[in-house]
Amino acid sequence: MIINTTILGWVTFVYFASAIFYIFRMVTGREFWGPPASLSALVGLIAQTFALILRWAESYKMGIGHAPLSNLYESLIFFAWTIVLLYLIMEWRIKSRNLGAFVIPFAFLSMAYASFSPHVNSRIQPLIPALQSNWLISHVITCFFGYAAFTIACGLGLMYLIKGLGEAGDSRHFWRFLPGREILDELSYHSVVIGFIFLTLGIITGSVWAYSAWGSYWSWDPKETWSLITWLIYAAMLHSRFVRGWRGKRMAIMSIIGFGSVLFTYFGVNYLPGLHSYF
Amino acid sequence: MKKAVLSFLCSLKLTIGLLIIIAAASILGTVIPQQYDGGESLRHLSPGLVKAFRSLQLFDMYHSVWFIILMGLLSLNLIVCSLNRFPTSWRLFSKIPSLDRTKPFENLSPDRVLVTEKEQNEVVRRAEKLFLKRYKRIRTEATANATLFYGEKGAYSRFGVYVIHASILIVIAGAIIGSLLGFEAFVNLPEGESTNTVHFGRQRGIKQLDFTVRCDKFSIAYYDNGMPKEYRSDLSFLKNGDVIYQGSLLVNHPITVDGIRFYQASYGSIPGAHAYITIKKGNEEGTTIKVRAKDSFYLEGNDATATVERIEENLMPMGMFRGPAVLIAIQSSGANISFWVFKDIERIKRRIPDLFQKIPRFNPGLFEPYYFKLNKIENKYYTGLQLSHDPGVSIVAIGSFLIIIGFLITFFSSHKRFWIRVDEHEGKTRISVAASSNRDPVGLKREIEHLIGHLKGMI
Repeated sequence: MIINTTILGWVTFVYFASAIFYIFRMVTGREFWGPPASLSALVGLIAQTFALILRWAESYKMGIGHAPLSNLYESLIFFAWTIVLLYLIMEWRIKSRNLGAFVIPFAFLSMAYASFSPHVNSRIQPLIPALQSNWLISHVITCFFGYAAFTIACGLGLMYLIKGLGEAGDSRHFWRFLPGREILDELSYHSVVIGFIFLTLGIITGSVWAYSAWGSYWSWDPKETWSLITWLIYAAMLHSRFVRGWRGKRMAIMSIIGFGSVLFTYFGVNYLPGLHSYF
Repeated sequence: MKKAVLSFLCSLKLTIGLLIIIAAASILGTVIPQQYDGGESLRHLSPGLVKAFRSLQLFDMYHSVWFIILMGLLSLNLIVCSLNRFPTSWRLFSKIPSLDRTKPFENLSPDRVLVTEKEQNEVVRRAEKLFLKRYKRIRTEATANATLFYGEKGAYSRFGVYVIHASILIVIAGAIIGSLLGFEAFVNLPEGESTNTVHFGRQRGIKQLDFTVRCDKFSIAYYDNGMPKEYRSDLSFLKNGDVIYQGSLLVNHPITVDGIRFYQASYGSIPGAHAYITIKKGNEEGTTIKVRAKDSFYLEGNDATATVERIEENLMPMGMFRGPAVLIAIQSSGANISFWVFKDIERIKRRIPDLFQKIPRFNPGLFEPYYFKLNKIENKYYTGLQLSHDPGVSIVAIGSFLIIIGFLITFFSSHKRFWIRVDEHEGKTRISVAASSNRDPVGLKREIEHLIGHLKGMI
């Protein structure tokens, strides 16, 4: 096995450990588990960054050099990378580890799917003609930062709903580490805004690419259409917040529905006929 | 009545409803095969359903009348809403709130109030300097025992939402212009041939170009593992017999001639490929012949006929058995056998040394004592060109760019207003700070803390 996939395999376990620490911390209500949780997430991120650079270099050694963003395996790895990066920035900015238990597991699942699914080929493959474009990097990066921000918003939405179950003077330690509902709502809104901007950039860069590869900036290909559907769902969510002042539970539910649409845009579309079939 | 229609057109319910309906319709369009992609899967549906779908234009849904009406309604909703709300935003932008002496300072938390021994005039002078540096549209008012300042920043953020909505309308306008004035067409062009006639995609019919396009050569390059690396059409464009442009067309690298963009869309082989086969008997030198599919020939000195059943440029696109191959059938008095002759048999044998034991049909020496060797296949391709002319593209690009500007204004700025009152309280100078903002309470809190920090530093 090539060294970068070995490292990435180990990173999967590191993220698993991190997720477990974050969950322990929340369930036991003891900060004791906090530092190892953050540390393992950070170590995992650094190792993963190193492995991605290594993979990039390796592809050049094979004479088919391209950024490691070109097939399902590489996109899953990158997805996990963006989730952990965005999460750690957030943890550092808000100085709280309370969100980790609902975010890091997504990164672990993405890594595990990439590393252990028999349907995901981890080999470095050359780029077919349609993918040989300078827009590949900017399109994939913007899309996946968007997906990652929506993933975090979904995690926050789940937290909000769970927090709702345990309200009314429940003082068990489990709830203690769940942030206040207003903070969750505010953070979830910020995540959705970040995701929305990146998704828009992803759609625009994708259109520019499509214009030079397929002859039309928009051809209602299923992936394009589903990214538009996702965009419309989050647009509806932002409007109901801005104009109607919707907050809390409704927003939490919408962020989960929106994430469902993100997942379908990412995976489900592969079962429909279209031009994005190589992803 | 007029008012009711207007309030319906600019209601949030209509906006959200339209967003959801358009999303749901788009889902339908990804599930029902759009005929434009090739109506193959229609056969799985019952005739009644096909008829119903066809009358609802579901096979070309994104260009159907009702989908266009939905998009039109959304645009109308955007326009009416924006026009309806704009005057309010303009007022909020342009009007400077009166220097109300008490209202902003009601219920002020204690940490927004500073007290100092310094003289009031000195504090006022310094506070004014600070305000002039940090904020815009400063107003001051001095009364008998107090001085008031007003300042603001980010008033422009009130217009971010209009920038977004206007740019979405610009994108839609660009799309409409493209679909009305532009066209999309296709042509399959065999190597060595030229044409000035192309077929429209969606709209049926043909179009005559003002120039002629000629395909000089089409070629495919492969990676070592058999994946396609490059599709290349060498094209010449001619007008009145003169070559006006000559170049190689690649995927992702369109060629523009006379405002029409050419894309490498597909390719195919033209029937009638030639294969060069060498036939050896034992240790003889062997003879090479040029054959086409279905050609037959006698094998010398043996009472047998060989027929070329198939000629394949690339038998299996990827994997071990990729590459050119021919299928040879032998009729002899003994038996009738057939076998594949691979051009790259040496490479395959290196990978599977016992290939001939495992799959005798892949043995080019199966009909002893003859041995067949495939030297090359001469194939003629056609290239599939896509043409497009879309005068709306630059408008769509401008709209897309403006959307991002609008996002940055809307999401990363807010209209923040600040009031400061300097007065005398129990023999000391008192400074009170009040603020409001249309969005982003967290950012406002940070800004207030900043401001108070500065005020503390100067007193």
